[in-house]
Amino acid sequence: MPDGSYERPQQRQFNPYSENGGTILAIAGADFSVIAGDTRQSEGYSIQTRYAPKVFRLTERAVLAVNGFAADGNMFVKKVKQRLEWYRHAHAKDMPLRAIARLIQTMLYAQRFFPYYVYNILGGIEEDGTGAVYSFDPVGSYEREACRAAGAAQSLVQPFLDNQIYFKNQTPAPGASHPTHLPLPDVLSIVIDSFTSATERHIEVGDGLEIYVVLAKGRSTQELASIGGLQELSTRAEGDRMFVIRRDLKKD
Amino acid sequence: MSIMQYNGGSTIAMVGKDCVAIACDLRLGNQALGISSNFEKIFAMTERTYIGLPGLATDVTTLHEQLRYRLNMYTIKEERTMEPETFIHLVSSTLYEKRWGPYFIEPVLAGLQRMPGGSFRPFIASTDLIGCINFAKDFVVAGTASEKLFGVAEGLWEPDLAPEDLFETISQTLLNAVDRDAYSGWGAVVYVITEDKVIKRTLKGRMD
Amino acid sequence: MDISFALTGKGYVIVAADTTAARSIVKMKSDEDKIKVLSPHLLMAFSGEPGDTVNFAEYVERNLRLYHIRHTYALRPASAASWIRRSLAESLRSRSPYAVNLLLGGYDTATHTPELYWVDYMGTLTSVPFGAHGYGSYFALSLLDRYHDPEANLEEGLATLRRCIDEVSKRLVVSPGKYKVKVVDKDGVREIEL
Repeated sequence: MPDGSYERPQQRQFNPYSENGGTILAIAGADFSVIAGDTRQSEGYSIQTRYAPKVFRLTERAVLAVNGFAADGNMFVKKVKQRLEWYRHAHAKDMPLRAIARLIQTMLYAQRFFPYYVYNILGGIEEDGTGAVYSFDPVGSYEREACRAAGAAQSLVQPFLDNQIYFKNQTPAPGASHPTHLPLPDVLSIVIDSFTSATERHIEVGDGLEIYVVLAKGRSTQELASIGGLQELSTRAEGDRMFVIRRDLKKD
Repeated sequence: MSIMQYNGGSTIAMVGKDCVAIACDLRLGNQALGISSNFEKIFAMTERTYIGLPGLATDVTTLHEQLRYRLNMYTIKEERTMEPETFIHLVSSTLYEKRWGPYFIEPVLAGLQRMPGGSFRPFIASTDLIGCINFAKDFVVAGTASEKLFGVAEGLWEPDLAPEDLFETISQTLLNAVDRDAYSGWGAVVYVITEDKVIKRTLKGRMD
Repeated sequence: MDISFALTGKGYVIVAADTTAARSIVKMKSDEDKIKVLSPHLLMAFSGEPGDTVNFAEYVERNLRLYHIRHTYALRPASAASWIRRSLAESLRSRSPYAVNLLLGGYDTATHTPELYWVDYMGTLTSVPFGAHGYGSYFALSLLDRYHDPEANLEEGLATLRRCIDEVSKRLVVSPGKYKVKVVDKDGVREIEL
């Protein structure tokens, strides 16, 4: 107004969140676990980078995939890693997978009223040697599952996984039954197909694919021998082994 | 909540080898409340042309009646049946006529196009609610489960599927997609159109 | 808010509607008939915007009567439903749309089948084994999912209707007291005291 007064008080707003696209996915086998994510990071229609990892090695037998708001995701992974390091110093061993899952819940719920805007999927090997996948919502609700997709292309990938992993809407032959866990080569094919499909139809998915494979102790690595772009991440030859497969996805 | 999601429902069409398939769910709801599990969204327009009309349920019926009327007038005047490629343009112009007050429908079409030699070529297409045509070579989807349908179809579909394999592919795609959509499902109907016959099958699905 | 139910059975359709006419919090009338007899074998329960309801119902009634007089026979249920639907669909995109929801219960004397159509104010039409409009639908539909039997005789059909009405009386805050129940079968339409 001319006299210097205002009709309304001035308001300012800062939006502390953003959404950075991408998709993550994990599948548990009987004695292995596969955790994958694409590497594109975007904001709106702009690609910020074609290589921003969303999948992280936590311990010798645990991998965490983080999707949503990248800044929150990176900070969250950093804090989880820090807590795991403290655990190692205190107990002289790695934290078991189910304990990491509960830790993640506690850490997420601690931010209940200013949440980390991220969907987490934790994969790895349990203490009993079984492959496991845990999925979380941003405030810490979690569940152990055989498979889970999250992120931008969740709605494209999850129904495909329902069909291919859980055999939903498929009737087994009389006297037969569907397997509860699939062999590693089948799982890898499904993961790759899921991401190529998502890349084809979703603009926020593409560029690169990182597939982490965690094998239980003593399990043969034979099935990975013929896979291209394979790199071993294990620090010890005995115990659980971890590998990463890096592949290209379409960049358009 | 968008008017396109008010009644729920989804449709998909796929190309196979010398055949096409088109399928829809059977739900009709009012937002989250289910009203009917017997609401078919696919209609036979000619012997070898089928159209799926997912969207606002009142417009499903109105548009079907409108298209049937215009198709009948063409058939009477021209004394020949309309080919699917011609028909999709009829659909397009019928929708564009209502550019500023549209029918809330995204049609999906599947048919066999009669070629000059007398053989048939698979043809599918879809349009948006104002009639912009999408001529796809593989599959087309529409409805409240369209994202899910895209994901599953992209994973399951392959070129040159025989009629029975195409039936399995389209059925699995639809069923698994609508099971992840609260507004679609409640049973499904699949049509497989081949040169000499049309097979209609009603599928049981999850009722939740 | 009006409540109406309808269900099919072996050779009949039962249509029920409450009899309250209310304005705001005041009950103006408690014996209003909200089920029109459109033809010898066709019933229509109507609900929605007060004013629109009766006006539209009478419009439909007169037009179907005119058809009957002109042709000496009445429209069959499917055709009547289709005409009524079109009237609503055209009205929807007009300057003053009717806000009327309908349940059309009829008996097709040519095919000897009971028919029930659920129609809303937009012109959505679907054939259903049972249907409901208004707040009653949130209670009745789940009951009807459980208890409806297309092969049930009239006694059993009325018992199922009773369940719906009782449930609404028990659980709905603004439940109406009385209902009018009409039945259509091969012998035509008649009113039934529950």
